[in-house]
Amino acid sequence: MTPNRTARAARERAGRRPAGSASRWAPGLHRLLATVLAASLLAGGLALAQTEITFWYAWGGSEGQAMQDLVDEYNASQSAVRVRGSFVPIGDGERILASLAGGAPADLVTVWDWMVVPLGYGGALADLTPDLATAGVTADDYLPGIWEYGAYAGAKYGLPTTLNVYGFMWNKDVFAAAGLDPEAPPRTIAELDELTEKLTTVDARGNMRRLGFFPNVTAIYVHAFGGRLFDPETLEPTIDAPENVAAFEWLAAYYKKYDIAKIRRFQAGWGDMASPFNPFYRGQIAMQEGGQWEVAFTAEYAPDLNWGVTNFPAPPGGRPDVTPVQSSFWVVPAQAPHRAEALDFLLWLTAPEQSARFAAELANIPPRQDALALPAFADTITPHMQTYIDMLLTGFVYTPPGLPVGLYLSDQLNQALAAVQDGSATPAEALGTAQRNVLRELEKYR
Amino acid sequence: MTRWQRRDLWLGLAFVSPWLIGFLVFTVYPVVASLYFSFTDYNVVSAPRWIALRNYTDLFADPLFGKTLYNTLYLAVIGIPVSLLVSLLIAMLLNNKVRFQGLFRTLYFLPSVVPAVAAALLWRWFLNPDYGPVNEFLWLFRINGPGWLADPVWSKPALIFAGLWGVGGSMVIYLAGLQNVPVQLYEAADLDGAGRWQRFRFVTLPMLSPVILFNLIMGIITSFQAFTNIYIMTGGGPSNSTLVYALYLYQNAFQFFRMGYASAMAWVLLVITAVALVGVFRTSGWVYYEADG
Repeated sequence: MTPNRTARAARERAGRRPAGSASRWAPGLHRLLATVLAASLLAGGLALAQTEITFWYAWGGSEGQAMQDLVDEYNASQSAVRVRGSFVPIGDGERILASLAGGAPADLVTVWDWMVVPLGYGGALADLTPDLATAGVTADDYLPGIWEYGAYAGAKYGLPTTLNVYGFMWNKDVFAAAGLDPEAPPRTIAELDELTEKLTTVDARGNMRRLGFFPNVTAIYVHAFGGRLFDPETLEPTIDAPENVAAFEWLAAYYKKYDIAKIRRFQAGWGDMASPFNPFYRGQIAMQEGGQWEVAFTAEYAPDLNWGVTNFPAPPGGRPDVTPVQSSFWVVPAQAPHRAEALDFLLWLTAPEQSARFAAELANIPPRQDALALPAFADTITPHMQTYIDMLLTGFVYTPPGLPVGLYLSDQLNQALAAVQDGSATPAEALGTAQRNVLRELEKYR
Repeated sequence: MTRWQRRDLWLGLAFVSPWLIGFLVFTVYPVVASLYFSFTDYNVVSAPRWIALRNYTDLFADPLFGKTLYNTLYLAVIGIPVSLLVSLLIAMLLNNKVRFQGLFRTLYFLPSVVPAVAAALLWRWFLNPDYGPVNEFLWLFRINGPGWLADPVWSKPALIFAGLWGVGGSMVIYLAGLQNVPVQLYEAADLDGAGRWQRFRFVTLPMLSPVILFNLIMGIITSFQAFTNIYIMTGGGPSNSTLVYALYLYQNAFQFFRMGYASAMAWVLLVITAVALVGVFRTSGWVYYEADG
């Protein structure tokens, strides 16, 4: 029944209704009822014709609103599908895991990167490879090193939402105050060590007042020293590779020299990263690992901060262009009730224009090559952001290990680091143990 | 059974059925299922694969299993007696007939109604080595306080210290117990020339012993399952020094997708808790039950 005929039928039905008491406003009431009825029928008819898909996105506040605006725009652009978007924080994924295990997942879900391969390889997520090929989406559409992210053993289980890129940040004011050249960040590990020593200060109580630098994300140095956590060709873990051991030896020397207990104590007093009390903004740490979100954060919380960003320092023979990248992912559960429709929406959502707009809203970088130059994103690029983008375009991009035991591997790396920190194992021993544990765990997936 | 009795039975069952169904579906089934999963390789999304006892043998070869068990026992063995003692002391103080007694009781009980998450955040600030009130207080005596939660040596004592914040629950139970001690016992003790300590030792303590036993048992159960405050305050760090059993179990289940392994951990924890409780009951000869005479 077309909407017009529905309305007419409703009018006719309303017209045939016997008049009640000779109330003055009865005809008006009839018209009102008829209109309401017609509208309900019209909406009902449309709803019946439409397929409704559920979409769990992981952003609240203004970012969530930006996502919802995109959902609304998609809904308005066509009448076949209606996307019902909801803000479902990922947390540790318990809710998502429960919905997948219970066989009643949403059609499109946002997950952390470490969840993609374990869930996908376990059979809970759709392999998007054939659909992406049909839609003509290829590796070339994405930035270098990003297409393989979220893929494992030839299957692609999701698409990255927006990218976070890490760089080496330094506080130019702190450099200048310490009598150092504010335009000369360290390029080698030796220079980094030297600057760290010069910039670290202690107060009368013996407590740290400023830390020159703190290596926080272990994997960065593993890669900067020329190592890897797994071989992308064979998909075998390579945690105990000599380069990784060398990186751990450097880390161990650092912890010993600056006393990890003192550092932890100092760090416990640091303020929230997304606040004016961010230790980097306050000069409590002079050099740090920081992502492109700092462009937005500094603009808001420390507009006068004089800072620079560049590639991470590396030892001779290492990688001087390491660019760590992270992202959350959009995945389609294997048991999604409306897989084709969800995929259609996903393709729209990850198309260059939408990708550019959403990344700009989040102060992240769109994963699509062809989105970078679009005004929606390009107009927001600041000089700092341009540096991050350049690092991403030209550097050695690495993403968290996309193995079925990815997070377990990362945790094993942390366990190895903890063992090195408390002196219970040498770097070689600790990494050897981690390698054996990961191999053993990986066996379960073979 | 007569027709009416049968009818009553069915009616009764019908009335308790919401609870019964909930209990079967949300408690009995998961418990039984976890026993089965503990003998399998199970990552939640794929079908479980039978591996017999391997999860259990792996568990005993896992150094973190020992470490988390040690952390949990440390918090229990030191934390429970400390909290039993502190809550008893507070209860005895609050049992004194003083002005504003009701107000004091309310004030001391108040912290235990603060949500665990809020209390954990508050304590994180309190114990902050750099600007927390605890270290600032110590500095008045020129003591450079430790790193507390940031220091592997001090993190567990810090958690026990912070845990005392929540003694209100057991304190109230002690208070009820104290008020049940018959006054004539104290009067008799007075006549026998008992001093304050002797009255406490030979009257209060025996009369309170069932309450102490109850608080001890509840303490064992809750401290073996400790999770929320630690998850928020330290996340298990630094250097795994506060990685307790339940936290490691959670990591295995939801972060490493090792649900089979986590199920095995849960069953081992159940056995440990049961053994501890049986041990407590077996050695509860010190508990004096009034009814026994």
